[in-house]
Amino acid sequence: MKLLTHNLLSSHVRGVGPRGFPLRLQATEVRVCPVEFNPHFVARMIPKVEWAALLEAADTLHLVEVPPGPVQGYERDEEFLRKMHHVLLEVDVLEGTLQCPQSGRLFPISRGIPNMLLTDEETES
Amino acid sequence: MQRFVNDDPESWLNAISIWKKLLELDAKKERLSQRDADPLKRKVGENEIIVAKKLKIEQTQKIEENKVCQLDKQIEEETQEQRDFITKREKLQGEEPREDVEKTTDTSHQHDVTFRELGRVIGIALMKQFGWKADLRNPNLEIFIHLNDIYSVVGIPVFRVPLASRAYIKTAGLRSTIAWAMASLAEIRAGAIVLDPMCGLGTILLEAAKEWPDVYYVGADVSDSQLLGACDNLKAAGLKDKIELLKVSVIELPLPSESVDIIISDIPFGKKFKLRKDIKSILQEMERVLHVGGTIVLLLSEDHYRCFRECKESDIPLNSKGSHTVAPGIQKHLDPEENTGLSETVLSSFEASNQECLEKMSPCGSLVPVECYRVSLGKTNAFICKYRKSLSSGC
Repeated sequence: MKLLTHNLLSSHVRGVGPRGFPLRLQATEVRVCPVEFNPHFVARMIPKVEWAALLEAADTLHLVEVPPGPVQGYERDEEFLRKMHHVLLEVDVLEGTLQCPQSGRLFPISRGIPNMLLTDEETES
Repeated sequence: MQRFVNDDPESWLNAISIWKKLLELDAKKERLSQRDADPLKRKVGENEIIVAKKLKIEQTQKIEENKVCQLDKQIEEETQEQRDFITKREKLQGEEPREDVEKTTDTSHQHDVTFRELGRVIGIALMKQFGWKADLRNPNLEIFIHLNDIYSVVGIPVFRVPLASRAYIKTAGLRSTIAWAMASLAEIRAGAIVLDPMCGLGTILLEAAKEWPDVYYVGADVSDSQLLGACDNLKAAGLKDKIELLKVSVIELPLPSESVDIIISDIPFGKKFKLRKDIKSILQEMERVLHVGGTIVLLLSEDHYRCFRECKESDIPLNSKGSHTVAPGIQKHLDPEENTGLSETVLSSFEASNQECLEKMSPCGSLVPVECYRVSLGKTNAFICKYRKSLSSGC
């Protein structure tokens, strides 16, 4: 699970609503692997990023050199884009958990795939 | 058909020479790849892609054309289609080069042209014009003819393997050509977030990611085995970095509202899915996570398609009366299952009759049907339906 995905996920446990975001990340196995840098793609993702959530997750994974926010003219700032590219796409959490901040419910991440299936009692109907 | 062969021999010869050239390119490719020269490989690769793309486009255009005509017919007549889809190879006599004529015929009652007659007519004309010989076992050239009530297509297949076969897909789920067609309808643009909430083996996402790489793809499924298969497919295709997988349920997506730009999905066929109730909750959830203005492209079985139309028919009495101020209390009485109070405001903005047929297919208030195509999956038929989320509130 990449941090870009983590940035999108929110808990859907019953009654939690918008307070289910962001999920607290805990990782036991992380892999960093190079991904082809595509500046156009990264630039388009920047406006969609929830920065607080991203910084929190990056902090948990002890990542360094994480930009604290978008800079002026980021579309052409290659250094900025490369750093974001690394944070969002090159760090893969293989094993760990995601925790709902409101209910405390833990969702496991296994082989890079988060399991967010809820039991019937937990779902919002 | 006879006239087509006799009056225009040049176009036949042109087509054959192009086909021959493409085959030569194919053979050259094999030799080059053995030599393992990188820049050459890339160039040849490009050509291959161009050819593949062109054919894909032709294929989808053909599917679209074909099925739009059928859809019109359906809307007007609302009767069951009478179509015989026949494929046959037929033996003929003649001289070099050897050919094999393969025909498909779509006939309705009126014309009754059988494939046998068609085959005979074409074969004899070709023989007279070019001196070609028919050979069923080992032909050099295959001629494909498709004839239906509206038009005819004559073509020469360029590939020896089915168009849907893909080198980069290890285990195919949905037929790749259909997956690609769905992706192409979805208006995928760079920087979009594309979700397939019932991805299975990930075929749709794979096709889309190959064609539109600057996009963020997310696939979800409830089944471990399917996700494992999808994972394998992604690895084999080298697309592990472009497509993320989640184990989540489509009726409970752990995504904030309005967070996804495009949804493409193959709604599972089969009796396991109880039609009305399940489909409704699936659509509600999909609609929730979709941005306003975003598109949904779904592959529906005949049953689902029929169900969509029936679902909306229960709302039709509101529309035909022309009254848009029916109180919510009354609406609930008409159809206690559905929350039709909100969909009413959307209906009131449509033009009355020419939209009525399309409206019948709108399963959910703010999802506006855009287009719909009937496609063949081999043994069964299905429908590719595209919707767009409008500004009004949800289901």
